[in-house]
Amino acid sequence: MLLELNHIYKWVQSGGQKIFLLKDINLKVEEGEFISIMGPSGSGKSTLLNIIGMLDVFNEGEYNFLEDSVHNLKEKHRSNLYKQYIGFVFQAYHLLDELTVYENLEMPLLYKKYSSSERKALVADMLDKFNIVGKQNLFPSQLSGGQQQLVGIARALISNPKLILADEPTGNLNSKQGEEIMEIFKELNKEGVTIIQVTHSEKNAAYASRTINLLDGRQV
Amino acid sequence: MFKNHIKIAWRGLKMDKMFSALNILGLSIGLTIAILLFSFISFEKSFDKQYKSYSDIYRVLVNTTGDAFDKEIMATAPAAVAPALKEELSAVKYAARMLQHSFGETAFIKANNNNFIEKRLFWCDQELFSIFDTKFIKGDPASAITRPNTVVLSKSAAEKYFGTIDPMGKTIKVDDKTELEVTGVFEDFAKNSTIDCNLIASFSSTYFSKEPSWSNSSFETYVQLKDNASKVASENQMQQILDKNVDKQGQWYTLSLQPLSEVHLYSKDYTSTYTSRIGSISEIKNLSFLALLILLIACVNYMNLMTARSQKRAKDVGINKTLGASSKSLVGRFYAETGLLTLIALCIGVVLSIAIIPIFNTITGASIDYKFLMAPSFIIGVCIVWLVTTLVAGSYPAFYLSGFSPSAILKSANRTVSNAVIRKALVVFQFTASVVLIVGVLVVYQQLEFMKNKDLGYKPQNVIAVSTAAIKTYNKKQALANEVKKLSSVIEVGSAQGFPGMDVSGRSLHKNDQDENGKNIQTNVADASVLEVLQLKLLAGKTLPSVKQEGDTLVDVVLNKKAITYLGLTPEEAIGKKVDMQLGDNATIIGVVDDFNFESLHKPIGAYAFHNSRFEGKPYLLVRFNSASVANTMRQLESAYNKVATDSSFDYTFLDKNMEQLYEQDRKTAKVGLLFCLLAIFVACLGLFGLAAFTAEQRKKEIGVRKVLGASVLGITQMLSADFLKLIAVSIIIAFPVAYIIMQKWLETFAFRISIGWLVFFVAGMCAVIIALITVSFQAIKAATANPIKSLRTE
Ligand SMILES: Nc1ncnc2c1ncn2[C@@H]1O[C@H](COP(=O)(O)OP(=O)(O)O)[C@@H](O)[C@H]1O
Ligand SMILES: [Mg+2]
Repeated sequence: MLLELNHIYKWVQSGGQKIFLLKDINLKVEEGEFISIMGPSGSGKSTLLNIIGMLDVFNEGEYNFLEDSVHNLKEKHRSNLYKQYIGFVFQAYHLLDELTVYENLEMPLLYKKYSSSERKALVADMLDKFNIVGKQNLFPSQLSGGQQQLVGIARALISNPKLILADEPTGNLNSKQGEEIMEIFKELNKEGVTIIQVTHSEKNAAYASRTINLLDGRQV
Repeated sequence: MFKNHIKIAWRGLKMDKMFSALNILGLSIGLTIAILLFSFISFEKSFDKQYKSYSDIYRVLVNTTGDAFDKEIMATAPAAVAPALKEELSAVKYAARMLQHSFGETAFIKANNNNFIEKRLFWCDQELFSIFDTKFIKGDPASAITRPNTVVLSKSAAEKYFGTIDPMGKTIKVDDKTELEVTGVFEDFAKNSTIDCNLIASFSSTYFSKEPSWSNSSFETYVQLKDNASKVASENQMQQILDKNVDKQGQWYTLSLQPLSEVHLYSKDYTSTYTSRIGSISEIKNLSFLALLILLIACVNYMNLMTARSQKRAKDVGINKTLGASSKSLVGRFYAETGLLTLIALCIGVVLSIAIIPIFNTITGASIDYKFLMAPSFIIGVCIVWLVTTLVAGSYPAFYLSGFSPSAILKSANRTVSNAVIRKALVVFQFTASVVLIVGVLVVYQQLEFMKNKDLGYKPQNVIAVSTAAIKTYNKKQALANEVKKLSSVIEVGSAQGFPGMDVSGRSLHKNDQDENGKNIQTNVADASVLEVLQLKLLAGKTLPSVKQEGDTLVDVVLNKKAITYLGLTPEEAIGKKVDMQLGDNATIIGVVDDFNFESLHKPIGAYAFHNSRFEGKPYLLVRFNSASVANTMRQLESAYNKVATDSSFDYTFLDKNMEQLYEQDRKTAKVGLLFCLLAIFVACLGLFGLAAFTAEQRKKEIGVRKVLGASVLGITQMLSADFLKLIAVSIIIAFPVAYIIMQKWLETFAFRISIGWLVFFVAGMCAVIIALITVSFQAIKAATANPIKSLRTE
């Protein structure tokens, strides 16, 4: 088992009132699964994804990731955990504007203190795999949305994570580009990467083996 | 990783050109000022360090004890002190006296058949060259000025007087009297040497070397103590030596030693030194404070602009964190970015400083040269400035931004990162400092104007003092006076020992025999007509008699009101009374003039006397002329002078210019203040400009919506400007009391001063508001006039 959420609650205090963002979420994810999260806007999908990604904290419940109890971990350990196992893909790509495609891919490796030759090899692999060798010296602003998202995914994959978290990865793309991304996810999933994606499209959700529906912070 | 930081920082700079330009410009200005000030301070601190015996050299100070001198400390000592110390104080290795020609007068030199004016002729003991190791190009420092009537010249003086001719063995004639043989040429004293003589003649040539007295305290005396000799022990022994030679009643002073390391910067309040190079530690402190303030404003600017961009920055931080960046590496990254920017600014700053140094030298009177910028200490200093600036300016972005939580950027609702309060505080700080500086500059200018226009009690305008020291006989002087009087543009002439604005003989005035200490009084030997020349107001009695019988022991005295008030008399009562003021038993008051400012307005008016005793000479011819054609008058005066004094050049002083000279330091303060004020405001405006640009950008969509809904350009401009004006208002409110306190303190250094009026504050406030408004509305109007459809579509 990769991760497990038990009775997760998250709320914010607003004017002396608790506003629940997530209520009693229970979720088990096995390694190699492909899961879609769906639900209307504001239903808490991103919040849930951030909690899984350990970028956000929750108020109640338990979260176990591999052997670790995330709810008991210190901030530092938590960030080490996600650095090691999780890659993020964003709706708005979130590439670093000042860096070329090559350098964007290299960035996570720099933070993880890979040697220069290892970095070269890994980046070259990724460029090859996603067919963007010719684009390696371009800046994000010189790419189309679909190409940027490809780079975003390549960057998420480069340090070989167990889990990919993707928040509406196709939200800013046209349907053809979206389909390409989904095909890549399917491929990756076959290679053993666990994927959790948030999506609004039934068609994209169908790529997953299982769908979780949220409404007002609750599973339905 | 570090290389990567730099790469990202560099690309970031190129992408956001306006922000980078504003940042670099602001920092460059701050750093330029810091570099200039740093070089100025190091120059001032480097004084006299070139002398090998630096730490063993002391100047003898005379600490006056009686009330007559107001506890004045003199940098000159009696002529008997140096020989006595050399003889009787075992710790003294060398001792030397220095006397500027005629106690600080211009010398008239005839050399190689040409006439010259020399302001820096000194009569010194030969050991001066042992104390201050002086490099001789010709002659032997150990013996050059041992004999009477010998002189050594600086290299530049030798060139001036003799050109390419070898001066060794030649003679020069001083004041058409004394012939001196040239026995050496020395390398010019460095610009950072307190000793600044051009010509050094042997002390043994002077009358004072034959009968050195313990009372005439006019000789700057330096001693070099033996290695490891103690200053305190030596000072104690000096008291014993003094006791041995001068009985207790005659001791109007005690002696002390001032280390050479303190001579340049800590002697501002000591009187009668001959050097023209006097520094001031308080000036250094004030300048350092101002420089730091400007640097701080520039750093604040940087922080301000950085946080203004924090929205983009927050995104970057978030992405980097999800990619695995630690807070530490992000702190490093922001510091790298700041460091790069400050480095660029520093380079610009160094180039600017080099360009500005000549101007800076004229304003401050310093003499920093370019060689100085190559000195290791300077380079290390600049590196420190760079490091400190980077640390200060980078601290806020580094620690504030690197603390952002990554989830903040992943939230679909892109919440604005709120640091408005800090940004506002930074702007308030900048403008507070600017307003304080504006008030400061205004007050300084008002005070200077006040001093320029103040009724001094006499009229220094259109009076010129012609030096007649080189004219030997009384008859010739009289002939010159008559010649000058005949000129149509001349109104009145009179000879005198000195004139208001220069030191004349100090004596002490006593009420009666019981009044032992007495009051310090300036006494000036003068002709009858001098009162008329100076246009002093006679309150009672009459001026000095125009003729005085040969051998007449009666001394006529005209006192000012301060003096007779001290004596407890009214002007009318004073006439005909005898007065005890060290002018003999027959000194009689024959007239009283109203008080006049014979010293700078920093000082309250003291006692002053014109008299006609023969104790002192009258080396100045004071001439009042009508102002119609000054140039013409000067030509006529010069030709009259040359007719009588064929062997010396024409040297003169305008009394009003000389008065202004007294405020040189104050004018310097004003100029430096103005310069800094302008720069500070400029830098603050850069910050405001950037911030306004940022706000306009941030509210682009809002502005678009408002315009579509019918808001006018004016309305939107007002809306955008109003927020900033509130900040300026707060700055003004904070600045006023601060400025008032600081400037009141400054004004207290003047005995005659203005009071700070509300107008100054009003003007300063308006300046700040107008400047801010112009800066902000530029952006506001740009935003308000933009096509709303465009700004809405971009979202
Ligand atoms: N820190 C917060 N404070 C208050 N409300 C929040 C906060 N974070 C998220 N929300 C609210 O919680 C709800 C769920 O947000 P989100 O998970 O982003 O929804 P979505 O399903 O559209 O991704 C939304 O209504 C959002 O406004
Ligand atoms: Mg969402």
